[in-house]
Amino acid sequence: MQSLSLNRSLREYRRLASDWTLLLGLVVVVVFLAVAIVWPLLKILGVGFSADALALYRKYFSSPVYLRIMWNTVELGLVVGAVGTLLGFLFAYVQVRLDVPLKKFMNLMALLPIISPPFAVATAAIVLFGRGGLITYQLFGIRNNLYGFRGLVLVLSLSLFTVAYLNLKGMMEALDPALDEAATNLGANKWAVFRTVTLPMLIPGIAGSFLLLFVEAIADLANPLVLGGDFTVLASRVYIAISGEYDTLAGAVLSLILLVPSLTVYLVQRYWVSRKSFISVTGKPSGRHQSIRNPLVRWGLFAVVMLISLLILMLYGTVVVGAFTKLFGINFDFTLANFEFVIMGLGSQAMGDTSAMSAISTPIAGLLGMVIAWLVVRKSFAGRAVLDFVAMLGIAVPGTVLGIGYLLAFNAPLKIGNNVLLPALAGGTALAGGWIAIILAYVVRSVPAGLRAGVASLQQIDPAIEEASISLGADSSVTFRKITLPLIRPAFFTGLVYSFARAMTSLSAVIFLATPEAKIMTAQILNEVDAGRFGNAFAYCVILIGLVLAVIGLLYVVVGTSNGVERDLGRAR
Amino acid sequence: MRGYVKVFVFLVVIMATVLSGCKTQPTEQAKPAVGGKLTVLCTPQEDWCVALTQKFQADTGIETNYVRLSSGESVARLRAGKDNPEFDVWFGGPADGYMVAKNEGLLEPYVSPNAAVIPDALKDKDGYWTGIYVGALGFCSNKKVLDSLGLPVPTSWQDLLDPKYKGQIAMAHPATSGTAFTAFWTVVTLNNYDIDAAFTYYKSLHNNILQYTKTGSAPGPMAGRGEIATAIIFSHDCVKYQEEGMTDLVISFPKEGTGYEIGGVGIVKGAKNPDAAKLWIDYVLTAKTQELAATVKSFQLPTNPDAKVPEKSVKLADVKLVDYNFTKSAEAKKGITERFDAEIAPAPKE
Repeated sequence: MQSLSLNRSLREYRRLASDWTLLLGLVVVVVFLAVAIVWPLLKILGVGFSADALALYRKYFSSPVYLRIMWNTVELGLVVGAVGTLLGFLFAYVQVRLDVPLKKFMNLMALLPIISPPFAVATAAIVLFGRGGLITYQLFGIRNNLYGFRGLVLVLSLSLFTVAYLNLKGMMEALDPALDEAATNLGANKWAVFRTVTLPMLIPGIAGSFLLLFVEAIADLANPLVLGGDFTVLASRVYIAISGEYDTLAGAVLSLILLVPSLTVYLVQRYWVSRKSFISVTGKPSGRHQSIRNPLVRWGLFAVVMLISLLILMLYGTVVVGAFTKLFGINFDFTLANFEFVIMGLGSQAMGDTSAMSAISTPIAGLLGMVIAWLVVRKSFAGRAVLDFVAMLGIAVPGTVLGIGYLLAFNAPLKIGNNVLLPALAGGTALAGGWIAIILAYVVRSVPAGLRAGVASLQQIDPAIEEASISLGADSSVTFRKITLPLIRPAFFTGLVYSFARAMTSLSAVIFLATPEAKIMTAQILNEVDAGRFGNAFAYCVILIGLVLAVIGLLYVVVGTSNGVERDLGRAR
Repeated sequence: MRGYVKVFVFLVVIMATVLSGCKTQPTEQAKPAVGGKLTVLCTPQEDWCVALTQKFQADTGIETNYVRLSSGESVARLRAGKDNPEFDVWFGGPADGYMVAKNEGLLEPYVSPNAAVIPDALKDKDGYWTGIYVGALGFCSNKKVLDSLGLPVPTSWQDLLDPKYKGQIAMAHPATSGTAFTAFWTVVTLNNYDIDAAFTYYKSLHNNILQYTKTGSAPGPMAGRGEIATAIIFSHDCVKYQEEGMTDLVISFPKEGTGYEIGGVGIVKGAKNPDAAKLWIDYVLTAKTQELAATVKSFQLPTNPDAKVPEKSVKLADVKLVDYNFTKSAEAKKGITERFDAEIAPAPKE
């Protein structure tokens, strides 16, 4: 039996090998994943399970302070997961099921956080709702303490809920209205339909969103650093260990501890939640959803979502106004000094470096995502599932952990004997000024989005089309280029847009990799926010948002069709 | 298909632009051109780093780049890059950090001809670092917030322990910030070098701390915006924020005595551009360069006796200073920051 299956997999590989472009694609993907994901993670495991490390675990797990920090981390993840998913659900429900005005505006507000740098919301929240906040104090005279758990939940939920929104919106749109109609015809009222039909169908989406938000929230290092107060989490401890002491051992150990909940949650999501799926989409759902008529529900939900939309508008409005203001909250005189400082100072190098590294990583991530999706969906070979799993680690592993892994793996050249196998890729004296490690990190973080979008759209395309191409004499590469790629073009586009936005706005994974030759905008923004120069931070944010929008616009023009982008983005996450 | 040609062209153009951009950097670095390039590790306020590196580049033609890191972070980075340093020269930040770096063999001695005018007390006897500015630590408080809490302007370290200050004080984390370490060592000095007594003090103070920031000066704007009542920062940073429009801020000093910093400058051991680094040190020790600081509202006292002292600067003669021993503080620094990070910073508040 075993020899039979061995024989079969050998045959599969022989078939793969006979098609050299296919083989090349596979080799490139495997080498990439090995260098950019597996090797750094192995390095963390190596350091994290060394003899010195064991003493640290003992210390951490016996210290009430550290146990508290671990609990804080999990608590933050759970609450942000719940609040963010609820926000996403409300926005999606209003968008899909309610007939109310201003839906376009609400949609836009829900999408805004995806292109915004990590601190925009936190900084704006401090100047609006903090102890000296424009609204809380100067308008209402309340000294509202934003530092700590409450502030973090507010800021993280508002920054991350887009994921849940896109996910759930896509799912609600795909639900067949016939099911609702059937329930209604059987005499169920709207509430019963919602409770017994709609909600159960959305459970996988809700659980999936919750879990993704959980991982993102516990991986965030930046917001707890500037807004944590006395609420300490693991990710910010990792940052202090590295930046304050360059203690890579403590960094690796804390990273491993952080990795446990993230990976658990990822595995649960992948192998349990996805199996609970009730949905089988066979083409476009027929008919239209009936809008909810009950005025109380309709206008109640509208009011809630509208209020949150206005809050988001206000926060981002503050970023823009603040960028042109001398001292927001104290002196509202118009000024261009913030932009002057950012552009004349070292901001311009950071902008150039970050945009360039993002631009390089974007096509690589887009193509890799599509190739892996194609290999996973269309080709059969042993290890296919492993390939998919490893590629998805880019999103399941918290950015902070990946960053530490890169530091350990790439800061020194990899040598066997006296031969340099791989020169140093990270750090100030690395090859190409440390650009390569950062680009790799960007790619790794972006591939999963393109991959999921690619898998989703390939599964809807009949393989017969590709088989016809092969029958007519085209090889794999021609088929992929001429048949597959055009068919999954919207997914490819989604992958590109998402990659670029994600690279430009990411911080945790690359903050330890910045060098004098490779300056990162988000790290500069962290400096400005931490040092309290909010005007400069706002100016940076405005420029960053502008750059991302400009490139997305350019991609729209060149790659074309916005069709299905939002939907695919939803699936991608 | 035509769409794909377009995509391809688009991507190629992007890659080409980008590659041409990044190619110039490594190749120039490879050229051992004398005075071609300089990478500065810069610890003072960012705008000073910008002004100084740009002026230096304009005056010398040396392409000057910098990274801003706080004092503790700087030593950590230098330690990490010990075998293959990415920086040529370290500028600014308290001398304690320079002493630590010197003891760990991270600095290269250099006695600049321009250092002759600098008083002996303000430079390392072996030439590993030279003082470029001096400034005293102080309390930077928001008068309005103090009033609303019913508190007078603090004039003693003990004042800050008043429970009314709960969540109303901020300082930086001593592991990353030299400012915060100066504050810690000041309390050590006031307790006759009893480090445990200083820990007892900071454990009580911890209950009143809102947040430990990364950068030493960061609590200043928090006070300026009314987020907190009092920031423990260098007084010259507080003057800077006042000048920048945070008009509710008031400066005060502890009557028991306060610490001070000697901002240093030193060459990184194994620097790739040692000649440019030496030139940088010569340059920053001149009276003219030191006067540049005030133009970007950095009001530290210049170490060069010929440099004009800015009117706004806090004069040391007006402040009671502790006898700050930089050699002792450097020896104890690592132990203290690690202990602070383990015992105080992450601890819950009572």
